[in-house]
Amino acid sequence: MTEEILIKPWLCTGCCTCSLVCSMISRGEFRPSLAHIRVTKKDFEGIFDITISSTCRGCTMCARSCPSGALKVIEIS
Amino acid sequence: MRFPDKCIPVKYDYNSYGGELRKLYKKSSYIRQSDMEYFGYTGKVLDINLNSGTVKKKDLNQELTVKYLGGIGFNAEILYRELSPGTDPLGPDNILVFSTGPLVGSSIPTSCRTEASALSPATGLFGTSNSGNYWGGELKYAGYDSLIIRGKAEEPVYILINDGAVKIIPAHHLWGKDAWETIKIIQDEIDDINIQVAVIGQAGENLVRFASIENGPYDAWARTGLGAVMGSKNLKAVAVRGTGPVKVARPGDFAKTLEATRKAIFSSPFYAPFEKFGTMLITIPYHKFGILPGRNFQGGTPDNWMETRTRKQLHGLTKRGISCMSCPIACAHWVEVKEGRYAGLEMKDMEVTPVIGFGAGCDIQGLPAIAALSGECQRYGLDMVSASACVAFAMEMYQKGYVTENDLGFKLPWGDEDGTLKLLEMLALRKGIGNILAEGTRLASGKFPGTESFAIHIKGLEYILADPRGRWSTWTLGCITNIRGGDHLRTRNPVENLKHNENPLPYRTEKFGLDDYFYDHLDMPGDIKKAVFDNVTRDVNIPLMSKWSEDLISVYNALGMCIRPPVLHTVGPTLFSRMFSALTGIDITAEQIAKAGERIWNTIKLFNLKQGEKPEQSDYPDRFYSEGLKTPLGDKKLDRDAVSATLSEYYLARGWDPRTGVPSPQKLRELNIIT
Repeated sequence: MTEEILIKPWLCTGCCTCSLVCSMISRGEFRPSLAHIRVTKKDFEGIFDITISSTCRGCTMCARSCPSGALKVIEIS
Repeated sequence: MRFPDKCIPVKYDYNSYGGELRKLYKKSSYIRQSDMEYFGYTGKVLDINLNSGTVKKKDLNQELTVKYLGGIGFNAEILYRELSPGTDPLGPDNILVFSTGPLVGSSIPTSCRTEASALSPATGLFGTSNSGNYWGGELKYAGYDSLIIRGKAEEPVYILINDGAVKIIPAHHLWGKDAWETIKIIQDEIDDINIQVAVIGQAGENLVRFASIENGPYDAWARTGLGAVMGSKNLKAVAVRGTGPVKVARPGDFAKTLEATRKAIFSSPFYAPFEKFGTMLITIPYHKFGILPGRNFQGGTPDNWMETRTRKQLHGLTKRGISCMSCPIACAHWVEVKEGRYAGLEMKDMEVTPVIGFGAGCDIQGLPAIAALSGECQRYGLDMVSASACVAFAMEMYQKGYVTENDLGFKLPWGDEDGTLKLLEMLALRKGIGNILAEGTRLASGKFPGTESFAIHIKGLEYILADPRGRWSTWTLGCITNIRGGDHLRTRNPVENLKHNENPLPYRTEKFGLDDYFYDHLDMPGDIKKAVFDNVTRDVNIPLMSKWSEDLISVYNALGMCIRPPVLHTVGPTLFSRMFSALTGIDITAEQIAKAGERIWNTIKLFNLKQGEKPEQSDYPDRFYSEGLKTPLGDKKLDRDAVSATLSEYYLARGWDPRTGVPSPQKLRELNIIT
């Protein structure tokens, strides 16, 4: 059993809690520009692109802190 | 391996620090901030003089952090200290300040708010407005707590802040363009979709006295005409992008406080309905109470309201919420109009402000039409509250024959969508009668003798929310005590009751009527709780609650959090002091936090008195005293003596002169305000 992050970008509200939490955990400061997960806001289309960097260490804290349900932790067997 | 349905693969970006950010780095020198000694705050203030084009990066005065906290506190301190009486709001001597709070840029829920302030062209008093979105966060990541803009540029310019690099760029190509177009052009020019832009539309350029500064396409520092101040400085936009950090002094404590704050907000009974309906929640109870500003406050229950303009009609129009930075509530909705005249319209909207302003005030029927009108306001850069109040004022003038079809060039009956659209354009471009209405209802009514009685404004700022004749509450008293004029966002009962509309003691208390949970979980010091709430019935003392909530909301606006009910009800001085101490490393008590809120409010009051505010300005429009409002509880109008008595009681609670509302020397000494 391993944990993976399930992404449903259509549920994202764009709050960026994921990248804030990620940067805090990985770097000890709030710095979304250096987070392993990034939310790109397309204001005029009302959609958000969620991108996870190859440097992600898979701690899944981003998904655990997501309030909108766009990121979820799932178990894969 | 098994994936559930609708699962999409994770996108990996092997060039995670490249792309648009790398291009930005090339255009500017990136300053490392490893030598920063501030936590929470960035410790730097950006001071730009457009007269000379000079940019200064000053150190933040550390004394101010505990005294004024940030946001509106910093703005109040700067403007009170630097602006002399008689300054022209639209002249080069006015100062426009944007300040973020220390919490902005962190993951504390809803910590994204930035306060913009200047001397207001609408009221001649303290002009201030608060907005969320991502602009404030980017300013913090760029390394600045405040941005001060002075002087006037010789030609149209925009400011680009890209981390340490600040440029003043000619903006001839943007002048005359609307806010949405300007944002798109700047995003293309800088080649970064994530750049955050504070921008004015044509209304700001044309010095409309209630022009807004748009914060991205759909949010705004709307009230008190700050867009006109920006226009008067020939400043079209401030674009910000930051890649730096917001540091945390005590991460362990901070994590615990964050958890406590999230838990408090998520478990608030206000949370679920607010997440679903946002501010549209109040559309139904306000109709039930009969307190909507129907047809410019001529009737509190507009016809067909329940069928056309309530939260029930949201279904089918919106599917999901859109949030500001670090906000779990997502109270605004993404609107998609599928059919009818406005089919194809897609935007972030459906907050209660345009629904009450255009829907009730101008009697525009149908949410799609209201969304379209609010989109026009955002594009032109108009404050929706004042713009809708001006249109409602014009409609009543048309109804009563003060203006005719010949004067306007078109008909303007109640509820006319085309007429409203045309009038908004005339307002923003100052064409025809729009040139008069662009001065706001107070000055416009002076040009049409006889219309003063239905020009609805307080201290020169248009007012729309609830009719005080039908509902007397902390919220409605707060509209006359408000330091920025006729506005509903600086006073609010954190445990407001939307089920009852009763005053157990006329003008003095409002019914509590909620579950014990709300009382028990209200973050308010015990002694104040005992004074504000009745011991047995828990009815709310209106003057005392007004004072408390004004100070509390000042703290919210200073620290950078949002006053949506799930937050306002659960987060108070105790949690704030824990957050502030853990984040900044500066120990502060709950009492100091509450005192800072009071200090901010008093400083702004002193600013207003210095700029010539008169005691008689803290009063409702004449209509509320002279004309009765039909409500389910009978015909109601305000009693002038009772209002005055309540106001005096409020002044006494504040330690101000009960007659004139001037802060006493003792109070100023207690708050350590230097006059």
